[in-house]
Amino acid sequence: MYIAYSNDNEIRANGEYGGVVTTIMKHLLEEKIVDAVLCVKEGHDIYDAVPFLVTRPSDISLTSGSMHCGTLNMAKFIYKYLNGCRDMKIAVSCKPCDAMTINELIKKGKIIKDNIILIGVNCGGTLPPVKTMKMIEEIYELNPKDVVKEEISKGKLIIKTKDGEKAIAIDELEEKGWGRRENCRRCSLKIPYNADLGLGNWGVTGELAGKATFVEVFTDKGQKILDEVNDLIEIRKAESEEIKIRQKINEIMLSNSTEKKEKDYEGSTGDIIDVFHKYEDEFSKCMKCYGCREACPICFCEECCLESEGPEWIPGGYTPAPPLFHLTRMVHMVDSCTNCGQCSEVCPCEIPLSKIWSTVNNKIRKTYGYVPGFAGENRIPLTQYDTKTKKL
Amino acid sequence: MLEIKYVPTICPYCGVGCGINLVVRNGKIIGVEPYKRHPVNEGKVCPKGNFGYEFINREDRLKTPLIKENGEFREASWDEALDLVASKLKEVSSDDPNKIGFYACARSPNENIYITQKLARVACGTQNVDHCARICHGPTVAGLATTFGSGAMTNGFDSIKESDYIFCIGTNSMEAHPLFARKIIQARKKGAKVVVADPRFTPTAKIADEYVEFKTGTDVALINAMIKVIIDNNLQDKEFIEKRTRGYEELKKCTQKYTLEMASEITGIKEEVIKHLAIEYASADKAAIVYSLGITEHSHGADNVMSTANLAMLTGNIGREGTGVNPLRGQNNVQGACDMGALPTDYVGYRKVQDEKTTQWFNDYYSGYGYEVNLPAEPGLTLVEMMNAAHDGDLKVLYIHGEDPVLSDADIKHTKEALNNLEMLIVQECFLTDTAQCADVVLPAAGWGEQEGTFTNGERRVQCLHKAQEPPGDAWIDWKIMEEIAVRMGVPRPLFHYDSAEEIFDEIRQCAPIMAGMNRERLDTPEALHWPCLSEDDPCKPLMYEDSFKTPDGLGVFQVIEHTGPVETPDDEYPLILTTTRVLFHYHAAMTRRCETLSNEVKTGFIEINTKDAAERGIINNEVVRAFSRRGEIAVPARITDDIKPGIVNIPMHFAECAANVLTNSDSFDPKSKMVELKACAIQIEKFEDDFDIKKDIYNNGTDISIEAEDISTTTVRKEVI
Repeated sequence: MYIAYSNDNEIRANGEYGGVVTTIMKHLLEEKIVDAVLCVKEGHDIYDAVPFLVTRPSDISLTSGSMHCGTLNMAKFIYKYLNGCRDMKIAVSCKPCDAMTINELIKKGKIIKDNIILIGVNCGGTLPPVKTMKMIEEIYELNPKDVVKEEISKGKLIIKTKDGEKAIAIDELEEKGWGRRENCRRCSLKIPYNADLGLGNWGVTGELAGKATFVEVFTDKGQKILDEVNDLIEIRKAESEEIKIRQKINEIMLSNSTEKKEKDYEGSTGDIIDVFHKYEDEFSKCMKCYGCREACPICFCEECCLESEGPEWIPGGYTPAPPLFHLTRMVHMVDSCTNCGQCSEVCPCEIPLSKIWSTVNNKIRKTYGYVPGFAGENRIPLTQYDTKTKKL
Repeated sequence: MLEIKYVPTICPYCGVGCGINLVVRNGKIIGVEPYKRHPVNEGKVCPKGNFGYEFINREDRLKTPLIKENGEFREASWDEALDLVASKLKEVSSDDPNKIGFYACARSPNENIYITQKLARVACGTQNVDHCARICHGPTVAGLATTFGSGAMTNGFDSIKESDYIFCIGTNSMEAHPLFARKIIQARKKGAKVVVADPRFTPTAKIADEYVEFKTGTDVALINAMIKVIIDNNLQDKEFIEKRTRGYEELKKCTQKYTLEMASEITGIKEEVIKHLAIEYASADKAAIVYSLGITEHSHGADNVMSTANLAMLTGNIGREGTGVNPLRGQNNVQGACDMGALPTDYVGYRKVQDEKTTQWFNDYYSGYGYEVNLPAEPGLTLVEMMNAAHDGDLKVLYIHGEDPVLSDADIKHTKEALNNLEMLIVQECFLTDTAQCADVVLPAAGWGEQEGTFTNGERRVQCLHKAQEPPGDAWIDWKIMEEIAVRMGVPRPLFHYDSAEEIFDEIRQCAPIMAGMNRERLDTPEALHWPCLSEDDPCKPLMYEDSFKTPDGLGVFQVIEHTGPVETPDDEYPLILTTTRVLFHYHAAMTRRCETLSNEVKTGFIEINTKDAAERGIINNEVVRAFSRRGEIAVPARITDDIKPGIVNIPMHFAECAANVLTNSDSFDPKSKMVELKACAIQIEKFEDDFDIKKDIYNNGTDISIEAEDISTTTVRKEVI
């Protein structure tokens, strides 16, 4: 584990937490190690995160640092618009949930592992843009347009304007229905152990706070990249005190998530029929927009059986969509579900889809011991069998 | 090198005006992604939002002008087509400008619509310009302007989330305005009571707390009886009535005869249910009325609208968040089309044609460079009147900008006869629609996603669109086409020349005080701006009438309304009442039927018929039946359901091969708004002796245009023939 910042003064000044991600991405492009870099940039403002495919190294400066309203999931973008990087090499800056879904898609053969580099960043949760602007107006009593930065630190959501900052405890906000996305509050991966490299400010203290980042290496690929940029960054080993602080932050975050999960899973065994029965009223609102399918990174079929006419599982044109609509979709994705929250976020009928799938996935985790989102040989339980045959 | 970008824009279907991101790969639109920063929908959309872009790069987009010769289209150069159109318009307008008519396109950006009415008024000298609001929310514009002084939704969409009681009448938001329906769902989660009154147990009714089934076209009787109950129980808002309104005594007097017994007889609703509705609506602190075309598309549409306004004013449910009269506008930019003055009675910004001074102002404003505009201060013909005039031979040229009246106007046979009777029909379109097929000249236009501009959604929010790709082939932007026509007609170019859509919008701001404050910096944001926006520092809050109404004396005006009911009532020969609707997955036809996903979801039309009515006729589910009225007959698959009241049947209006408007009645005018009765006519249904098949995959390969929505012989083929 290291602490690092960029050698390049300009990048250090403009990039976030010392600009190491920017330095890495720029180097990968300049050296043609990748064909493109997938990052996030500001669309209209800091509440509008847009995926940004960078092919020119000079454009790296147009990407943004952490955007707390950046609720995108990059996995779908890579699969849908970059052909799963079959014919190009890319590096992607990703939150743990991006990395989780990318890993699931790699296992399912939809993203080519050798062609993708995962530069992970730690994440304490993201905020829904429109609601957050309303929260800033009503709770923080600030004009959302004056906000220059938001930050989550020591359990508080800090909103900064050019005139100062205001901090309110996240627990307090979330009790009143504001705060992070519902799925983020359940999230059990805050540091991207499943990426090639993990960066982020947690654990950086003292005079380097805000000016440098932690760097953790998780794979050989990650180590190689770090070696590549060795001359471009200032890097030192992290002190044990720093590591402890980082772990502490992580642990607090995770224990909050555990509490939330227990609450969310309460009153259900997690068995499919039980869950469908419990949430029947919610499902019965479905207007069949297919938004959850479109947004779900694990839903990738070119021809989808939800639209099939032979056999006709779900008759066309009838709303609300029958329970079989969501049952079918669930069967196809739930063992790989990473609780990324995209489904809930796009649902026009306010069905708490992410919570529902997370409840079922939790049962699968308990039964099969499979945790989605990590590279490795462990099988996806409803997708593959393990063979017991002894190979001699 | 691969280039992918997101272009934020506004969905081109309903009046909710959701934000979406178009995904553009190497200059071509290839998809839609959530626009989570957008205040109206927060990244959520309906099926049309998700898949409604699929039509854009279809093979059958119009790419070159077409001129009809000996009944066949041939390709033509722009010069030839423009010269032909301009010379005809010049010839006829020199003779009599009232022999020319214009239909503006309510799907098109404001800037195109503004130029359409400018072409009509400035180049042709006619006030004959209208658009589909006439047969959509024309009664809203007329009815609410009479009562409140302005013909638009009184509250913003988000206001509904503050309501305690939501009374939805004649509106099926879950299908027609899905992302507004989401706000109803949110309100309900917060504790609001949602009540739906409709002849059909719609998807919206299915998410409500209470559903009230009633007979099509009896809204006035229901509301008048509710008013009587409220007054009898002393639940009216006396302070509001006294300070903010006039005409209360007349209203009270008129409604006294609407006893529960009488209203129950007319509407088919139980007496105690009417009483329950009235008391609950009046007792709620914040009660909102939501309505759509179930209220307006009647021969007494304006009366229905004014009844809702009476009810709201009586209980003081206006001018506060969570209350109001909330008509949900249909087309994405039908609000804008009204705002832009594509109305025979109004210039841009609802400035009145009939007012001499106003007309003089516009004559002066539009004259210049030696060209004099001399418009009369007399309203022109409405859309329905233009079609009738064409039928009678009094209208010679009709210029249709992106509308499809053959499919969407009542009585298709009448419409086609009218169009065939013209000396020249000009259609400016993206596709060869049913209407374009009747044209003499077809001008290929750039579509949504291919131009800048603004749409105005149903809550009066003027939102910027962004261009994502170039138009195909030789298709041009509408306002460019119209500039060239005007110039060829002899209008000096500077009067019609703009370098950008923004320049047109600047002219709109000069002409329409309600938009005067909309500078680009404030407008081109996700929040955009609501009108009225009188100055650049106007906060532009969506809520209207907080302190006073827009009438001359600032008071809301109660209207005395009597129940009249539909023009055509069922009899022994035609015992069923037909109502027409939309389905969630389509929006008219030209665009959604060319979107593969949407077209696959609902491939063809159907007639919803109650289980009991079907059994009486021996009809089984999905069987193709013969439906006929005094106007014509169609073959259409039956959809048997308990979700519709016995005696009432429903056909969605999108499908040319079984077009509902073959059956509807064009001879059923609303005297107050010139609406025709699309929601009620008398029909009969019977079984065919032989099996019939509907030819339904008509847009599949993008070239099959052989089907014409006319009568049974063209809309169906007998099985044995195949």
